[in-house]
Amino acid sequence: MKDFAFFDAQCAIGAPILGNARGGETAAGLLAEMDRNGVDKALVAHANTEAAGAIFANENLLELIRADDVDNRLTGVWTILPAQCGELPPPDEFFAQMAANRVGALNLFPVAHRWQACRLTIGRLMDAAAERRIPVFLGQRIMDGGWRGVFDFMRTFPAATVIINGVSLWGPDRNIRPLLENFPGCHVELSEYWVPEGIADLARLYGAERLLYGSGYPRFGHGSTMLSIRHSGLPLEQVRLIASQNLERLLAQAQLV
Amino acid sequence: MKKAVWEQPGSLAEAFWKNGIADIPIYDMHGHMGSHNAIYFARCEAPEMVAHLRRIGVRRLVFSHHYSLMGSFRNQRVHAITARFPDILRMYVSISPHQTDFIAEDLEQFDSMTPLAIGFKFLPDYHKVKVTDPRYEPVLNFASERRLPILVHTWGGSPYDGPDVMLEAATRYPQVTFFMAHSFSGDLPGAKRVADACPNVYFELTSLPGQHTIIERLCADIGSHRLLFGTDMPWFDEYQHVGGILSADISEDDKHNILYRNVEKLLGKDW
Ligand SMILES: [Zn+2]
Repeated sequence: MKDFAFFDAQCAIGAPILGNARGGETAAGLLAEMDRNGVDKALVAHANTEAAGAIFANENLLELIRADDVDNRLTGVWTILPAQCGELPPPDEFFAQMAANRVGALNLFPVAHRWQACRLTIGRLMDAAAERRIPVFLGQRIMDGGWRGVFDFMRTFPAATVIINGVSLWGPDRNIRPLLENFPGCHVELSEYWVPEGIADLARLYGAERLLYGSGYPRFGHGSTMLSIRHSGLPLEQVRLIASQNLERLLAQAQLV
Repeated sequence: MKKAVWEQPGSLAEAFWKNGIADIPIYDMHGHMGSHNAIYFARCEAPEMVAHLRRIGVRRLVFSHHYSLMGSFRNQRVHAITARFPDILRMYVSISPHQTDFIAEDLEQFDSMTPLAIGFKFLPDYHKVKVTDPRYEPVLNFASERRLPILVHTWGGSPYDGPDVMLEAATRYPQVTFFMAHSFSGDLPGAKRVADACPNVYFELTSLPGQHTIIERLCADIGSHRLLFGTDMPWFDEYQHVGGILSADISEDDKHNILYRNVEKLLGKDW
């Protein structure tokens, strides 16, 4: 939109195993909803990664994006796995492939993909990602033990650049505030953060640069969190940070190659 | 790029986007108050809640107090809080089916709590008692005699307040206006079944605005004339929920119906 740029940090495309993508099976569906709501760009993951696995999802995501994203508005998110089975290339090569394919961030699904998210499995990869400031998505829904798993991960990789997603609609301040307080690399995407006046509270406590607009598409639509950020009560320069500039900065500072 | 929903000239979405408020009243028919066991609420007392409501132009918030629903805080105390903000707050008298002595007291004192009290709130899923259980009968009979609304927490698949139970209750008490809180949490076939059979039923939207396509499907299947806006305030931000209505792919009329017209048809403008 003319007065505010929005960069969606949290959305997914692809056909989920249980259906219900409601138009999000393709990048065209996502782009149409972005247009209807006035969202400029999106960082997009595959919606069926948990069921179909990282290998399929990482590849299929690129196919889906290439099929419809003629204006390069979408940046991909790739899923990581433990190093020992050699399913993904070594870190440097993997990051170079990300750069070559317009993939800007990482995620992980240790419970669904049956591995332990710890130093033994992803230590080398996460140390390299932290050093290169590559953003990694982390959420209570996908970690063993929920929030305990998120806390363990952050204690193990305290220097990581992390985007906490899927915070749950039940006000999550008791869990996200300790993370924001203790880990400067922690950011929160706001698609499920519906706390009244809460965006302004978090910005005042931890800085607006720690918060990111996310739609949560296709489970959620784009517009509701746009309006809550627009009228968070924060100064417009902070609104702009949350709406798009923070994510632009995170992706720009990542040194993939 | 085509104009976004927020840029449509003269629309409600444009007004709220630009100004944070529009030239319409908003009736929030589902609120609470007070702290919560599992959630930190920075703004759960009346003054802070009212400040948030005024920012977006909520004309009335009808609430039930967490402490009355979950604890033993009496409704008269809620009335005293409501009376501090009579220009914006209204209350539901909270009912726990396990406290029969409280129910007797509440019905006896109901007149002293009007006009700020407009009806009752049931929370069957939490109290684990079916709405059709005899313990709710005194309240249902009272509401029926006076044609009062009852906001009932409803959830798809629940044995206490799911579509089957609510169909039975709404059929048995046709004089009661039932507000189905959360509209059975998106169990659309269930909601439609109840809507088709019971004209005395309205569907309240807390937690649904923002969920992709659900407002569109409720408008298509049930009709926007049966939908009521609500937020569970202090659970959910007014801008988030209003944003979910305004950005839904529905008509401008649908949005007006949901945010205020249906309530004004039901309760008038002066209550
Ligand atoms: Zn409620």
